[in-house]
Amino acid sequence: MPVSVDYVARETASNLWRNRLMTAAAILTVAVSLSLVGSAFLLRQSVGNATARWQHGVNVLVFLQPGVSASQQASISSQLGQLPYVQSCAHRSAQYDYNEAKHMLAPDVSQALTVATTPSSLRCVLNDPAEAQAIFTEFHGRPGVASVNWPAQAVRTMENFTHIAQWVALVLALILLLSAAVLILNTIRLAIFARRREVSVMKLVGATNWFIRVPFMCEGLVQGLLGALVAALAVTGLHSVINYFAAKPSSSLYQFSMPTSQLIVTNVWVFMIGLVVGTVGSALAIRRFLDA
Amino acid sequence: MIRFENVKKTYKAGTLALQEISVEINKGEFVFLVGPSGSGKTTFIRLLLREEVADAGQIWVAGREIGRMSHWRIPYLRRNIGCVFQDYRLLPNKSVFENVAFALEVIGRPKHVIGAQVPQVLDLVGLTKKRDSLPGELSGGEQQRVAVARAFVNRPLILLADEPTGNLDPATSQGIMRLLDRINRTGTTVVIATHDAGIVDQMRRRVIELDHGTLVRDQARGVYGYGT
Repeated sequence: MPVSVDYVARETASNLWRNRLMTAAAILTVAVSLSLVGSAFLLRQSVGNATARWQHGVNVLVFLQPGVSASQQASISSQLGQLPYVQSCAHRSAQYDYNEAKHMLAPDVSQALTVATTPSSLRCVLNDPAEAQAIFTEFHGRPGVASVNWPAQAVRTMENFTHIAQWVALVLALILLLSAAVLILNTIRLAIFARRREVSVMKLVGATNWFIRVPFMCEGLVQGLLGALVAALAVTGLHSVINYFAAKPSSSLYQFSMPTSQLIVTNVWVFMIGLVVGTVGSALAIRRFLDA
Repeated sequence: MIRFENVKKTYKAGTLALQEISVEINKGEFVFLVGPSGSGKTTFIRLLLREEVADAGQIWVAGREIGRMSHWRIPYLRRNIGCVFQDYRLLPNKSVFENVAFALEVIGRPKHVIGAQVPQVLDLVGLTKKRDSLPGELSGGEQQRVAVARAFVNRPLILLADEPTGNLDPATSQGIMRLLDRINRTGTTVVIATHDAGIVDQMRRRVIELDHGTLVRDQARGVYGYGT
């Protein structure tokens, strides 16, 4: 099966140009489809980033009894520090807690507080927010511990929300990917159908199946890659937009910011899908015009 | 060169296209395949090109039984058979030269061979001056000569023509027949399916007549109809 590179290059280039309307249609289809797929993947990662950051912001507050002894406080503190899922713990004095409570509570409530009746506290940052419950069971009711507070409901809601959001984004991306594949295949098939006469002449003069297939696959490759290029630009644009809003000082969206590595990975996927869909799609579309 | 042994072909709809056809065509022969529309002429040609497969019987082309031929060999079979059709089947966006060269490119001939053989065959069909024209700029007769050039350029053993003069006036038809005759004299076996009585009567070559899928006549120096 000698298929010369020169022949394939010439044939591919001239066919792409001669059928430029179909070429444009195929490229645009790939571009739009892959932009949507890439964006969905990007958003999914963004939500993933936000989830990870929220989870790392979960704190457990261990309130100590007012007037707890220094040795008791030290022992609780060191026990907390030894737990594998505790990242770090900081001690806040009664005075600090008093000021904070005064700041947060309504004046009539806070007036009843004095520094002497306010508990000091240990504020712990967790590696794994799911373990907050474990700290509660272990330290609740211990001598020297007044109470253990953790945002149980908030953590659960947040976990549910991000879980659902990630699944929705993934399912969306997969549906888009599927419809993109069908759309692209159909466009290629249409383009080849328009040239079935040429294919029949090739068969007539004794072209092997591979000889007919290879230029079509190269065309599909070029179309797929050009479409992916446009899609990658769109995805990069979306990435910049997300980071722009996340980087605003006043932004409450800072958790959504994304590193460039994630953008690169997404774009690599976009290119690979474009490449595979273009070549394999062409090979499939040409199949029924060839001898079985 | 070509041998049909009890060949039978029925299409899906149940139409009997050929029944029990046995015929042999030798190397270098010039044969007319005649008969009314629907008599099986085109099926005969499609079987030879293995665009169709016979239901029963055997078809031998150049010493090979083509019914059991594996798919990947079919292109190589077709390289031995040049083909000309009523509708020319040229590629409209390639020039005359490119259309003929295409047949050689497709079978992987190197550039210098193409450069040497295409002008030669264009000279044979008398289209040297039109080598850069597009098919749409040519007359019907000229287009058919391009098709003949393309069919003959790689010197096939067999040249098949399915109604090659179907779209042409009598004078132009005669020109095409003279061309096919010249090709035949180079030793190429020529088979022409036609219902153009004029050219058959004029050429006085072997005539195989089909009617409703059966072979009704095989005459050495025949004419189109009986009793002429």
